[in-house]
Amino acid sequence: MLVIVLENAPPRLRGRLAVWLLEVRAGVYVGTYSRRVREHIWNQVEAGIENGNAVMMWYANNEAGFEFQTLGPNRRLPADWDGVRLVSFHPNADESDV
Amino acid sequence: MLPPLKPIPIKERLSIVFVEKGEIDVVDGAFVVVDSQGFRVRPVLTHIPVGGVACIMLEPGTRVSHRAVALAARVGTLLVWVGEAGVRLYSSGQPGGARADRLLYQARLALDESLRLKVVRKMYALRFGEDPPARRSVEQLRGIEGARVRRTYQLLAQKFGVKWSGRAYNPEDWDVSDLPNRCLSSATAALYGVTEAAVLAAGYAPAVGFIHTGKALSFVYDVADIYKFDTVVPAAFQVAASNPSNPERAVRLACRDIFRKTRLLERIIPDIEEILAAGEIPRPEAPQESVGPAIPNPENLGDAGHRA
Repeated sequence: MLVIVLENAPPRLRGRLAVWLLEVRAGVYVGTYSRRVREHIWNQVEAGIENGNAVMMWYANNEAGFEFQTLGPNRRLPADWDGVRLVSFHPNADESDV
Repeated sequence: MLPPLKPIPIKERLSIVFVEKGEIDVVDGAFVVVDSQGFRVRPVLTHIPVGGVACIMLEPGTRVSHRAVALAARVGTLLVWVGEAGVRLYSSGQPGGARADRLLYQARLALDESLRLKVVRKMYALRFGEDPPARRSVEQLRGIEGARVRRTYQLLAQKFGVKWSGRAYNPEDWDVSDLPNRCLSSATAALYGVTEAAVLAAGYAPAVGFIHTGKALSFVYDVADIYKFDTVVPAAFQVAASNPSNPERAVRLACRDIFRKTRLLERIIPDIEEILAAGEIPRPEAPQESVGPAIPNPENLGDAGHRA
């Protein structure tokens, strides 16, 4: 199982992903592919994401049962807690607060 | 409105999440760790999928809100307050004793000497993969086990190339222990956390032990010993042998890995049932004149000991 979610991505990348994956909601792509194909698809995302951001998750034989990686700026950043991967929600840097 | 929260089975969960620092609270119904990182910066929130974890270990430097504890209890997740190196200070979260029939069954097995011996024999049989010698008392079995355990420690230390001078630790001062002993202590603490969560989820009492007695977690130690030498002990020795810069983190990663590989969370509750079934007595039935619940129990997704 492979899921990719894009935010603020250029239409050309969205069209490109739709070549291999099913776009079930705006920017949400699903499919089932091997590791090699997954890496190939992620290369396309890296090449075409521009100012947007992306996350890809897939089935993995670890304790959580899945793995994920991200690209581009987002308030949600992956965090590793002694081997458990969680997500930290960072506030938008606000000038008055910094 | 959303339907009410319910626990999910232990076997479908992650084993342990350690929380090092931060205020634990509920934000929009989610269990979050708020890390302030100073006063002038807005906090970083990290979500923990609390219902998908068997047990959450709260280390020194954490604070927990009332709402967070209530949420943990509602989804049947054990919160364990631990000290440095995973040494337990206090524990709560999902309270045990939710199933009187199971508690009475466990107590009856523990109180009757011949039943207790049967259960102890089953524990050793599961642990060593062979039946213990016949016609031995619990005391004699413990002697045999002790010798075997010391030998196992030596063999494993040899296998991983660790200098081993016996299991020694001082609960008052953990830092004086040698590296293998410290790794072992934090690894066994992780195993105890998961085991306690499973014992409670299965509906049994952690204090009613068969081999161990007199401690709040006697039964947890009994059950954990079955897995200890196949899981956390080799993991701890392996970590100690590699001499890592952060042994505690390395031990946790290794434990997580070995729990998954040995499918510990799937095995532990069925194994508890198998151990107690060795007593070969039926579960007690409710007395005839007893009154059932006026409001029937809601349908439950979780394990027997989870409060629906």
